[in-house]
Amino acid sequence: MANPSNALFSGLRILDLTRAVAGPTCTRMFSELGAEVIKIEAFPDGDLVRHVSKIRNERSLYFVQHNIGKKSFCVDVRNPKGMQLVKDLVPHVDVVVQNFKPGVMANMGLGYDDLMELKEDIILCSISSLGQSGQLAKKPGYDMIAQSYAGVTSMVGDPDEAPCFPQLAIGDVSTGVMGAFSVLAALYHRDRTGEGQHLDVSILDTYYNSHEASIHQYSGSNGEIEPNRTGRHMNYLAPAGVFKANGGYITIMSFLHHWKDLCAAMNRPELAEDERLGTDEGRLENLDEVIEIIETWLQSFPDRDSAMDKLDEFGVPAGPVLTIAETVAHPHLRERGTVRTINDRIAGEFDIPGLPPKFSKFPDLPTLDAPTLGEHNAEIVTDLLGRSDEELAALREAGIIKEKNV
Amino acid sequence: MADGLEPLFAGLKILDFTRALAGPTCTRMFAEMGADVIKVESAPDGELARRMSKIRNERSLYYIQQNLGKQSFCVNLRDPRGVELVKELIPHMDVVVENFKPGRLASMGLGYDVLKELKEDIILCSISAMGQSGPLAEKPGYDYIAQAYAGVTSMIGDPNDAPSIPLLGIGDASTGVHGAFAVLAAIYHRDRTGRGQHLDVALLDAYYHCHEVNVHQYSGSYGEMKPTRGGRHMSYVCPAGVFRANGGDIMIMGFLHHFKDLCAAMGRPELATQEGWTTDQERLANLDEVIELVETWLSTFPSHEDAISKMEEFGVPVAPILTVEETINHPHLRHRGTVRTITDRIAGEFDIPGMPIKYSDYPEDLELEAATLGEHNGQIVTDLLHHSEEELSQLRADGILNEGEN
Repeated sequence: MANPSNALFSGLRILDLTRAVAGPTCTRMFSELGAEVIKIEAFPDGDLVRHVSKIRNERSLYFVQHNIGKKSFCVDVRNPKGMQLVKDLVPHVDVVVQNFKPGVMANMGLGYDDLMELKEDIILCSISSLGQSGQLAKKPGYDMIAQSYAGVTSMVGDPDEAPCFPQLAIGDVSTGVMGAFSVLAALYHRDRTGEGQHLDVSILDTYYNSHEASIHQYSGSNGEIEPNRTGRHMNYLAPAGVFKANGGYITIMSFLHHWKDLCAAMNRPELAEDERLGTDEGRLENLDEVIEIIETWLQSFPDRDSAMDKLDEFGVPAGPVLTIAETVAHPHLRERGTVRTINDRIAGEFDIPGLPPKFSKFPDLPTLDAPTLGEHNAEIVTDLLGRSDEELAALREAGIIKEKNV
Repeated sequence: MADGLEPLFAGLKILDFTRALAGPTCTRMFAEMGADVIKVESAPDGELARRMSKIRNERSLYYIQQNLGKQSFCVNLRDPRGVELVKELIPHMDVVVENFKPGRLASMGLGYDVLKELKEDIILCSISAMGQSGPLAEKPGYDYIAQAYAGVTSMIGDPNDAPSIPLLGIGDASTGVHGAFAVLAAIYHRDRTGRGQHLDVALLDAYYHCHEVNVHQYSGSYGEMKPTRGGRHMSYVCPAGVFRANGGDIMIMGFLHHFKDLCAAMGRPELATQEGWTTDQERLANLDEVIELVETWLSTFPSHEDAISKMEEFGVPVAPILTVEETINHPHLRHRGTVRTITDRIAGEFDIPGMPIKYSDYPEDLELEAATLGEHNGQIVTDLLHHSEEELSQLRADGILNEGEN
C-alpha cells in the first residue's frame, strides 16, 4: 500500500507504539490524512483489539476502524534483535507516539532520553490514563477510571442513585485528538526552533478540560454550589434536557430567548410572559410542572418525529434522541460523512464514524486499508532499514517477526 | 519555560469570532501557549458568556476560564464601519476562527471568499453544531442537540427509561480540540505549500467520532446487535462499571485478564476458572449475578475506600467516583495541574481546569489574563491598524467601539 504523495501529511513519518483506542485515535488522525504511520504490534498476536468486539472472517472490525492507513510491523521486542530493529527505526521517523503504562518505555530502553540519543529532535507523545507522573500514574488505566477520577462520572445519571456512564469511548477518543493536536504543536515548534519535545497527554486532563462550569462554580462560590448530576435535565437553565414523546425521546434546549418559540409551538403564547414560568429561574423552581406541560404536549403527537416537525417549524432548538440504528441511516449524517461505509478486503463492507474535521483542500480522504498483522514487515526491514533478504528470512525463522492474514 | 525560549505559538495571529464554549476552547489552546488571539465581541455588551454562570464582582468566572490570554476587540458588526475595521485586520492574521450559525459570517460580508481576497493564504476554521451544509445545517445548535443526533444520548442512562445527559460540555470541549487540530494541520499544510484552507468542524462529527464500537457492531452484525445504553455497566465486557459500596460508588474494570485478579482480591480464586464465569460473554449473560456477587463482597468493607485499597493490592483497575468537590482537593490532580488556581485582577482567586497538554519545553503556564470588554480596542485601532487618536474617539462616540469594566 503506497502512501499518497499529495495528501495533507504526505512525508510525515510516525512510529506508533499504541494500542486499543486513545493512542490509535491519535495516530489515525495522521494516517487517514496521508502520513506514514508504522504501527509496532505486540508479538505474536498483535494489538489486543484484533480479538475483541465484532469479528468477521477472523478480521476485527474494531481493529479496522481504528487503524486505517497504518503499516503493521509485528516484531518481538523482548528479543534484543527485535528491539534493535525498533531502535533502528527511530532515526527515520519524525514522531513517536506511545500509550504504555508510565515507565514501561524507559524500562525497554525507549524513554525520551534514549530516543533523543537516537534522534536529537525526536518528538515523543506519551498518552496515558492518569498522566506520566504523580501518585496515580502507576495505576492500570482505562477511560472509565480516568472518568471517575475526573469527577465526570459523578455528573451523569440520577442524583438519587449511583451514577451511570456514557456507553462509548468519549474519553479515549477525545484524548487521542488532544494528543494529535499536541503532536502538531510540537512539529510547529520544531519547524521554528529545530527542537523536539516530550508531550504528556492524559484521559484525566482531557476529561477535566470539559468541566466548563463545575470547577469555577464550586470554587467561586466557596463550596456553596456543589455540582452534581441531575438526571436528564440541566440545573442552571430550563427547559434543557431530554423529554418523552410517543415512541421516543427529544432533547429540547428552550431556555432564555428560546422559551417564547416553544410556547408558540405549543400554542400556549401566554406562558412566555407567565409570572412563574416566564424566566429560567422560575422554570427551574417549577421544573416538574414545566416537564409535565411539555411532555403532555409532545405525547399529543402520534410519534416523536411529528412532534419534531412542529418544533422545527417554530425554530425551537431540539433534536430527536437517535438510536445508533437511526444515525446510520440519517441523510444528514450520510451526506456529511459523519458516518461512512468502508470496504475492508477481508471483512467486507461495514459502517464506521467519519474523520472529523473536513478540509476544503482535501474533500475526499484517500482510500486506505487497515493492515493485516505484520503486513509491512518485509518492506520495513529491507526497504527502510536496508537489511538483506537473507536477514529477513532469518528473522522470520527465529520467530522475531511474524505475519498473519487477519 | 526554558530560559530564553519564546512561547510555543509566539507570533501566530488568530482572529477569534467565537462565543460560548466550543469555539473558545479551540482558540484557548493557542492563546494559553502564547499566540496573539484577538477576540471579536459584539458591541455594546460583548460575549454572552460575560453574563453567565458564577459572577464575582460583576466578572464572569466562565468568561475568564475560557478566555485567558485573549485580547478583546469590542466592535459593532451591524455597522459597516465596524465590518470595515474587521476587514482591515484580516491581512494581519494567520487564522480566523468562528462558530456562528452557518451562513452568518458570509451574510456579514466576511465569508471565506472575501477573506481570501484580503489575505490569499488565510485559514478559516468554522465550528458549528451540525456542519456547514446538509439538511440539518440550519438548525439552532447546542451540545445536547448534536449529542442527540449523534446517537450519543441514546447510549447514556437506564435502558428501561429515558436517557440521561452528562452535566458538562463534553461535546463542546472535544469539538474545540478537533478544531484546534484542524487549524494546526492547515498551518502545517500552509508552511509547506503556501496555501490556506477552509475547515468545517462540527459537534455532531466530534461526538460521532467517539463511537469506538457501536457503529461497526450494528452494521457489522447487519443490525442484529443494537447498541443502546446499559445504565452503569458496559455492554461488551464484564464486569465493567459502577458498583455500590458503603459510603460511595466504585468504578471497577474487572474484565478479560483482570477478572482473575478481582477473584483473588475477593478471596474466590476458583471463580476465574469456574464454568459460566470464565469469559466476558458468559459473565455478561449473568450480569445480575455478577453484580450481586461483587456488591455483596464490597458491602463487607466499612468504607468504599477500604474496598478500593484491597482491589489495588491485587492490581485490579479501580477508581473512586469522585465528586467535583473531591477532585479539586485531590493531590494527584493538583500535582499534575489538572486543576489549577488562578488569580483574576477583578474576581480574585478561584479554580479552573488546567491546560490538558503538558509540554516538556513549557512546564509552567504563562501568566495570562482574561480581558475586560474591549480592553484592546485602542491598541488594535491605533497601533495595529494605524488609525489616528481622533478617529478612535469618533468610533467610540458613534458606538462602533465599546469598552466595559469587566
